[in-house]
Amino acid sequence: MNDNYTWHFGLIWDFRGVFLRGAGVTLSLAVGALLIAMVLGLILGMLRSSKRRYLSAPTMVYIEFFRSTPTLVQLVWIYYSLPILTGIQLGSFVAVMLGLGLHSGAYMAEIFRAGINSIDQGQWDAARSIGMSHMRAARRIILPQAVRRMIPPFINEFANLMKLTTLGSVVAVYELLHESDNLIASTYRPLEIYTTLAIVFAIIIFPFIFASQRLERYWRARS
Amino acid sequence: MTASIAPMIRVRNLHKHFGASHVLRGVDLDVARGEVFVIIGRSGSGKSTLLRCLNFLVEYDEGEVSFNDVLVGYRRRADGSLVRDSEANINRLRAQMGMVCQSFNLFPHMSVLENVIEGPVFVRHMSRRDAVAMAEELLTKVGLADKSAAYPSTLSGGQQQRAAIARALAMEPKAILFDEPTSALDPELVGEVLDVMQELAAEGMTMVIVTHEMSFAREAANRIMMLEEGVALEVGPPEQLFRAPLQARTAEFLRRVQR
Repeated sequence: MNDNYTWHFGLIWDFRGVFLRGAGVTLSLAVGALLIAMVLGLILGMLRSSKRRYLSAPTMVYIEFFRSTPTLVQLVWIYYSLPILTGIQLGSFVAVMLGLGLHSGAYMAEIFRAGINSIDQGQWDAARSIGMSHMRAARRIILPQAVRRMIPPFINEFANLMKLTTLGSVVAVYELLHESDNLIASTYRPLEIYTTLAIVFAIIIFPFIFASQRLERYWRARS
Repeated sequence: MTASIAPMIRVRNLHKHFGASHVLRGVDLDVARGEVFVIIGRSGSGKSTLLRCLNFLVEYDEGEVSFNDVLVGYRRRADGSLVRDSEANINRLRAQMGMVCQSFNLFPHMSVLENVIEGPVFVRHMSRRDAVAMAEELLTKVGLADKSAAYPSTLSGGQQQRAAIARALAMEPKAILFDEPTSALDPELVGEVLDVMQELAAEGMTMVIVTHEMSFAREAANRIMMLEEGVALEVGPPEQLFRAPLQARTAEFLRRVQR
């Protein structure tokens, strides 16, 4: 053990406002991106399962493109290339939220697809044979069951998304990592600050994991 | 029993391929209003496929199925060719034919009562109150009055199947299709399901039943079809099939399953 290093966690308290502000930005980035990803994932997941090739094939290209390229590049690309190509200049916060939403949507699509596919074909048959339309069967019968199985991968994806928000620092979004780097530049205490950063992330993510476990237990008890 | 003029369900020259296998090879079938029509045959003979063509859960690729003189699944263009019907029309026809499957297929995230009122409320647009009143009546009829709040996974197979029958009846169907309704049940639970079916038959419900329960077929059926390799080998009243089948292969099949 090397005892030349003296920890100075005291200084963290002085900068608590900065961490709080960063956490607020990080959380709103993640939640915003999650909402985009959920809506997109549901639509893409349904299209991906479609028997019609002209629906499923482009969806697959989208999903595989976003899964196989670096997230960082996707974000930078949306922030810098979109204005060149379309003339639309998004603010850095919106660009990162959108970029992460599009990225995570590809993963969500696979979660939705796997969830939908895990439901027995007999459930579709039963819904169809009481005269339900495809959409209504999906909404009333298939998705409510699929969503329950999707909770664990879903929370997993949310935790990933939380951590991916740190990429926002490359286009100067003042999320937790960017705030921390700024602090480090002025205090020269990277270990204390990164440790605190990790703890703040854990504090944000843990309640979601806990809630999902409770929810799973509740559903299991009921069925 | 078979007095009405036009058959309720009419099948002509029905063909179905699954990839390279030719599952139905030109089946004709007429089911009259109020008739109990039983389909028997070896596994793989196409019985379930035939049944599922009747409500278009399986899309047949040649021939015609009609229900009360309405073509099922397709509509005829001016030049006589068939094109797939709109989803809304197909759904409307399906709602008139109940279906009860081997694996019950109750909705596991809903209570028994919610299973039964799902169709009336969301497809027939009944008020919830009326639907509940009807569902309670139907659950009493199938002997599940005390199980309306239970979830399917807590019920025995026989109870689940009776709940599935109540769910089908809640649509006030003109006919019910049964696809091996007792095959997944423990032997001691078969009777309670067959009793409910007997009762429906006695009330004049039109039923098409795929089953391996030969004594039930013999008692309840008006006519029985022996299906073999996608072809209707013979159709006749139970006395004929069981006492003096026209085809040697029917006799052989019956001998084997009744042993």
